[in-house]
This record gives sequence, structure tokens and C-alpha cells, in this order.
Amino acid sequence: MSDELKAKVQDLIDTMINPAVAGHGGFVELIDVQDNRVYLQMGGGCQGCGAADITLKSGIERLIKEELPEVAEVLDTTDHQSGTNPYYSSGKA
Amino acid sequence: MDRLLLLLPTTTYRTEDFLDAARTLGVDIVCASEKPSTFEPHAPDHLLTVDFADPDAAAARVAELAARRPLNAVVGVDDLTTVAAAAIAERLGLRSNAVAAVAAARDKYQMRQCLAAAGVPIPRFRRIALKDDPFLAARGVAFPCVLKPLALSASRGVIRANNVDQFIAAVRRIAALLRRDDVETGGDAARFLLAEQYVPGVEVALEGLLMGGTLHTLALFDKPDPLEGPFFEETIYVTPSRLPAGVQAAIEGVTASACTALGLGEGPVHAELRVNDDGPWVLEVAARSIGGLCSRTLRFGTGMTLEEIILRHALGWPIATLVRERRPAGVMMIPIPRAGRLVGVRGTEAATAVAGIEEVTITAHVGQELVPLPEGWQYLGFIFARADTPEAVEAALRDAQARLAFEIA
Repeated sequence: MSDELKAKVQDLIDTMINPAVAGHGGFVELIDVQDNRVYLQMGGGCQGCGAADITLKSGIERLIKEELPEVAEVLDTTDHQSGTNPYYSSGKA
Repeated sequence: MDRLLLLLPTTTYRTEDFLDAARTLGVDIVCASEKPSTFEPHAPDHLLTVDFADPDAAAARVAELAARRPLNAVVGVDDLTTVAAAAIAERLGLRSNAVAAVAAARDKYQMRQCLAAAGVPIPRFRRIALKDDPFLAARGVAFPCVLKPLALSASRGVIRANNVDQFIAAVRRIAALLRRDDVETGGDAARFLLAEQYVPGVEVALEGLLMGGTLHTLALFDKPDPLEGPFFEETIYVTPSRLPAGVQAAIEGVTASACTALGLGEGPVHAELRVNDDGPWVLEVAARSIGGLCSRTLRFGTGMTLEEIILRHALGWPIATLVRERRPAGVMMIPIPRAGRLVGVRGTEAATAVAGIEEVTITAHVGQELVPLPEGWQYLGFIFARADTPEAVEAALRDAQARLAFEIA
């Protein structure tokens, strides 16, 4: 089941998610699927980006759950502090 | 399920904490930013682009969405979004402050006019037109004074001047700052700046929540590092305050008067005050919560975050308590020491190992162009501490910072 789900998630990443985030120089890698939880890692412009959380939860997770209702949650394993080229940088306001 | 609209600038530090709080509450989250998300075409009911600088257009854009999928609350997470949030809420009939009140709080000159008219203690002030000769503009200004842009925050562009020469240099420096590509100002904020009397004394920040016109103080922070200029870099915040109870009560009273004078009655408020032998002086009152990641110092009741309180209030949900945990807490905003490019950071583990330190978060990334105050607006990161006393919190923060080394080329 997990391998099958993993393949479906990977297909979504390849066909829908990465083409979308590529617009901001970003990419997403599937790390694992365990207990219907999807573990992702973000790179390029997404790593350390001020809007990465919005992209992940309101974009990627929503899309994956709509296409694959059996997915319970999408979790970000990215080390955002190590991002060297984030698309948006945060500041205090 | 209630639907919540969060106004999240792409550059804010506040996104993660507000999104986490919204998830905790289990609401349906709609995110609006000033630049498009790459996923907006895939999720048009949950991601949208609005111009925060044009509140009427933002309200019209959100009204289109709300006509299809009604919203229960709107929250602007930082200074850039407060007026747009109020305009959207007013248009949709949601809980909020009046647009005029929030706009007055966003404009340092309007704010001071309101506060002065109501007799709230503030420094003497005047507005300076950037087109005027600064030498002539300096006439009638008492020194030392502090010059400020009308609409920037985080001490950006705030400069002390002790004489006419420094005044002229400061005016020119602020004018140049306002022309930078990363500064979005329009209207009066692009044409004027503020000159006000420098008030000696200690500085504090009050974090509060307005409910039905009543101010509830959530935390009062001491700022133990002296803020005497020429720039006003904020570093350490520690709560509870070590000021005498009577002084703290006076600070709360003056802040409440300032909110009333501005017409603010609902939602978060972040106020900055100076305190000396003459009592508290209001420097700023913003209709938003504390900036940066600083809210992570605050926990309420059994662990509720500041953002959860703000969202519950906006949604009209019950709030179990507004009482902060008793344990002293604090944050250090790690300042940028000089301009350059960040090459590396050392000592994070050693800093985290200091007793009382809970977290060290480096928010600047390797390769980032660093711009110190007064032109800059970012920090290298944040250090968080909790301990048995405010003194121990402050000591832990200083110890941890001393163990960090930033290589800047």
C-alpha cells in the first residue's frame, strides 16, 4: 500500500507540483510515505523561502489530498535555515 | 468549518506562527499575499493575490471570493497588512477596527496628532517635507531630536540628530532610504518624515489585546539595552517587566488612552513607550502583534500561543485565558553588525547549550546580502530563553549571543 501510494505521490510531484514551483526556481523531493503521511523536502527557491509554509500547506498538501484522499498529512523535512537562494526573504515588520 | 483569511506578506517572519495557530484551531485557511503563489491556479479559493497598499482594491478582490465561499474572519499579520485587513473586514462585516483608526496608527504623524489632541503624553513633534531645504527645516527643531519615516517599522530609518549638521545628514539619509526599491511607500509617507523630541529614559514594549474597546495587557517587555541612538536597534526583550508595579500600571493606562484616542477597539496592539521621571511617553501604537519571531516568548494558560489568541478573538471564539505563564521569558533579535554577505555561522550548538536557552533560530541565509540599520530591516536570527528570573533570562541571552560568530564578507 505504502509503495503504491508513494508512486502516486511521486507522479503528482513530477507532473503537477514541480512544474508549479519551478516558476520560483524551486523543487520538491519525496522523502518517504509512512502511515499515510507524506514526507517532503523542498529545495532551490523554496528552501528558506518566506512563503514556503504557504506553498506546502495551502498548495502542495491541498493538491495531494484532493488527488489522493487517503493521504492524512504532508510534512516538511526541509532544513530551511540552510537555504542559500530563497525566493522570498523574511524581515521584521 | 469556519473560514479564516490571513494576510501574509511574502517577506513576513509571521507566516509560520499564524499558520500553525490556524491549523491548531482547525479552521479552513485562506492565504492572501501581495505576490502570486505558484499554486494559486490550483487553489483559487484558498490562495489569492491582493495589493496590500490598495486597501479598497484588496477589499473588492476578497469580496469576490467571499461571495462564493464566505469568510468568518480576516487577520493581517503585520504592519504592511493592517489597513487592508481592516478594509476587508469592514466590507464583509467582520470583527475589526475602523479603517480610519488603523490608518491613523499606521501613519506616525497622524498618530501623534490624534494622541496630542487627546492629551496622551508624547514627545513634541513636527512633520518635515522632504522637498524642503533641510537647513531651513531644522529651524524650530529642538535638539536632540529623532527623525523617522512616517510608515516604516522595526526602527528602520530612525535616526537621532544632536545638531543641525546631523539633522541635515539624517534627512538626506532617510530620503535616500525611501527611494530604495525594497521600500514601498506612497502618499504622505513618501513626501514627509517626522522629527520629534528625543526622550531620555528606559524603553518598554506592551503587547495587548483590545476586546470591545478594553485593553487587556498580555505582556510588558523591558528592553534592557540602552536605546540612545544614533540608530535604535532593538535587541533584547524580557518579560515580565522589572519596573515597579505603579510604573507598569501607568504604562498600561497611557497605552489604553492612546488606543482610545486612535479609535482602536478590537484586536492585537503593540505599543512602544519611553519611561522617565515624568512618567510614560508613547512612541508608537501599532494595531498588530509583536514583529519578527518574538511572539514565541509568549505562552498563555496551558500553552496557547499569541497567534491562537488573536485568531480566536477575530473568529469570535472563546478564549480560555489571557494570563501569560509565570516563568520569565525573553528574546534577542540578533542584530546585523555590518553590511556584507553572510558567509557562515558558527557556535549555534554552543549558544543553544547555554542554560535557559530554548532555541536559537538563524533566519539569515548563507549568501544573503546583509543591510544593517538604519537602511536594513532584517535580523540575523532570534534567541529565545526562559529562566527563573528576568535577570537570568537576560544573562542567558547575552551569553548565547556571545557564543555565536557570523562571518560576513
